[in-house]
Amino acid sequence: MKPRPLAIFAIVALVASACSSSSGTAGAKDVKIGVDLPLSGGELPNGDPTIKGVQLAIEQNPVAGYTVTINKQDDAVNGVHNPNQGATNVQTLIGDSSVFAVVGPFNSNVAQAEIPKSNSAGLIQCSPANTNPGLTKGTTGADLRKANPTKIAYVRVATTDDIQGQAGADIAYTVAGAKSAYVVDDTETYGKGLADVFATEFAKLGGTVVGHDGVGANQQSDFTALLTAAKAKNPAYVYFGGVTATGGGLLRKQMVDGGMGSIPFGGGDGISDGSAATASSFLNVAGPQGDVNSYMTVAAIHDIPNAAKFSADYKAKYGTEPGAYSASGYACAQIYLQALAKVGNDREAIRAYVTTTANVFPTVLGNVSFDANGDTTQHIISYYKFDPTTKDWKYFQQKDFTSGVTTTAAP
Amino acid sequence: MDAGILTQQAFNALTIGAMYALIALGYTMVYGIIELINFAHGDVFMVGSFVTLWLLSTLGVNGAINDPPRLAIMLIVMFTFTMTVMGLVGVLIERFAYRPLRNAPRLAPLITAIGVSFILQNIIQVTFSNSPVNVPRVIEAQAGATVQLPQFAVADFQVTASPVTFSYTHIFIIVLAVSMMVALHLFVGRTRLGRAMRSTAIDREAAQLMGVDINTTIALTFFIGSALAGAAGVAWALNYGTTKFDIGFQAGLKSFTAAVLGGIGNTTGAALGGFLIAFIEVFSSQLGYSRWSEAIVFSILILVLVFRPTGILGQRLAERA
Repeated sequence: MKPRPLAIFAIVALVASACSSSSGTAGAKDVKIGVDLPLSGGELPNGDPTIKGVQLAIEQNPVAGYTVTINKQDDAVNGVHNPNQGATNVQTLIGDSSVFAVVGPFNSNVAQAEIPKSNSAGLIQCSPANTNPGLTKGTTGADLRKANPTKIAYVRVATTDDIQGQAGADIAYTVAGAKSAYVVDDTETYGKGLADVFATEFAKLGGTVVGHDGVGANQQSDFTALLTAAKAKNPAYVYFGGVTATGGGLLRKQMVDGGMGSIPFGGGDGISDGSAATASSFLNVAGPQGDVNSYMTVAAIHDIPNAAKFSADYKAKYGTEPGAYSASGYACAQIYLQALAKVGNDREAIRAYVTTTANVFPTVLGNVSFDANGDTTQHIISYYKFDPTTKDWKYFQQKDFTSGVTTTAAP
Repeated sequence: MDAGILTQQAFNALTIGAMYALIALGYTMVYGIIELINFAHGDVFMVGSFVTLWLLSTLGVNGAINDPPRLAIMLIVMFTFTMTVMGLVGVLIERFAYRPLRNAPRLAPLITAIGVSFILQNIIQVTFSNSPVNVPRVIEAQAGATVQLPQFAVADFQVTASPVTFSYTHIFIIVLAVSMMVALHLFVGRTRLGRAMRSTAIDREAAQLMGVDINTTIALTFFIGSALAGAAGVAWALNYGTTKFDIGFQAGLKSFTAAVLGGIGNTTGAALGGFLIAFIEVFSSQLGYSRWSEAIVFSILILVLVFRPTGILGQRLAERA
């Protein structure tokens, strides 16, 4: 073979890399982090700030010898997260040989459909936001990874609902001072799981659960009958397990219509989707009177070690404050980039490195490591309440549920 | 037992039932006259709620109107406008999607109806949004009359009564829906055009031979059915203050069930079925079984169909009136 074509190729490659704005050096290998999140419709406020976190991490943490980009997949269909679409997306990402790791998904029922696929292909997934315990723990967790039981291919930096539900109950009982609560869930994996833990934990604290009902997919626009039944039981608190798209906002709005607006309302990270000005966010749908007295938890650390820098960097790039899971998306990407630098571009090596329980990853969330099931060892929940002046959620404290409870109040 | 709560729930059921019934009438009328399950009908209802939204934003209305005469005018404008627009949409759908297939095998128009349903949903997704959209509620949502029912005891059985709130929005929806149903009943039963509809339903060819213009009659049926669905769309927007491109699927499914339950092709049956389904749903919730309400509704539907395959009232539009 004559050397000429090679020389031309080398020159072209050199020119191309010199012209490209990324910091890649000549001969850098193109690799991708797959991202699967809900990125359209009513759940855009969830997915968008998260993928922006991933993007920011890639820019700020270059890995020598690699040019890292994103292969973006949207798992929302008609504006709502969809497990089948998630599974298809993971299949697509498995098929893209330049993808070495995946960030996502956002919703627990989507993860349920995706984990068996990534597990059998040995492609590591890191969820910034999944909180359902059954995805990793116990027999249900083992069932999802039965293709390769010993090779964990799914980790998450968000903590689980058995802890988030405990925090929700803590808000109701301690912060809002409620001694009785009515629980509503959306019958989905995430919502029902969270609501069940809330009910158990609230009773443990000494409160009374006066009722627990669930509303399936075809009923999630009318809660009047359920609320009339609930009102008769005089609850001091109403807790919702679910997301805004499955009725969270409408439930709160109809509480106001039915004269229950003064009863405090709480939910999990499923209703953490932006300020009242964000179209179709919980605060937007519930309306100004519903927003007052609403509480919410996020299953991740809020008070991150370098919060000011992270939020300044994020703001400088995107012009908005980071979302609830921006830092988590950032951390997932950070972990992958550290693994890539350490073991090189090999799916199995990266999977093994990330899931080794002894490895500790310094991330924007602090030091993260994963237990034998792939769950983060960081068990921190952040507490938020609606703030009428900013018309947005306001962080007021975080609690570490790892051993005993350590409360950190907002500065 | 708390009579107040039961009354409140019955009132809630009447409101939801009124909306189901308005939609169910369209299903049943169309089935009665051309034996087509018009799957796009739920979406006509959904588009109705968006037409209201468009009208309100064009008129610059963004909240409750507290001046009664102005409110009355606004309501009349909303209903007249939306019902007319949706009636015309229904006529257009019939003209272009169903009429060319009138003599085709049954399956063809059925599939076309599903297609029309998707087209309507996609148009709304593209022109408005694929997320829930807030609609201003012109009737103050929390306004209503609170009534204290008498409390009494029968022997040892104590009947308590918590105060019942009759929301003005709900009262308005119930009264409106019932008047429309009565008007429809009179129209079909007492007028010349109504007689043309009934005769077309019994035997299309014979009606044509007797000088009935069946194209106009069928178009009229679609106009009325779609206008009623449009009215249900306005009622939905007034009641919930929100709408979404896929509400037609949920509501359509239940209204279709209502039509079958009451006896498809029978207008009184459709109204009855709508209220019945709403009562079953609401009282499942009252008992704390919201998560089972659909299973309960459909179990009852199956039971009814096993014992009365033609539905509760069971005749077709024509034979009844």
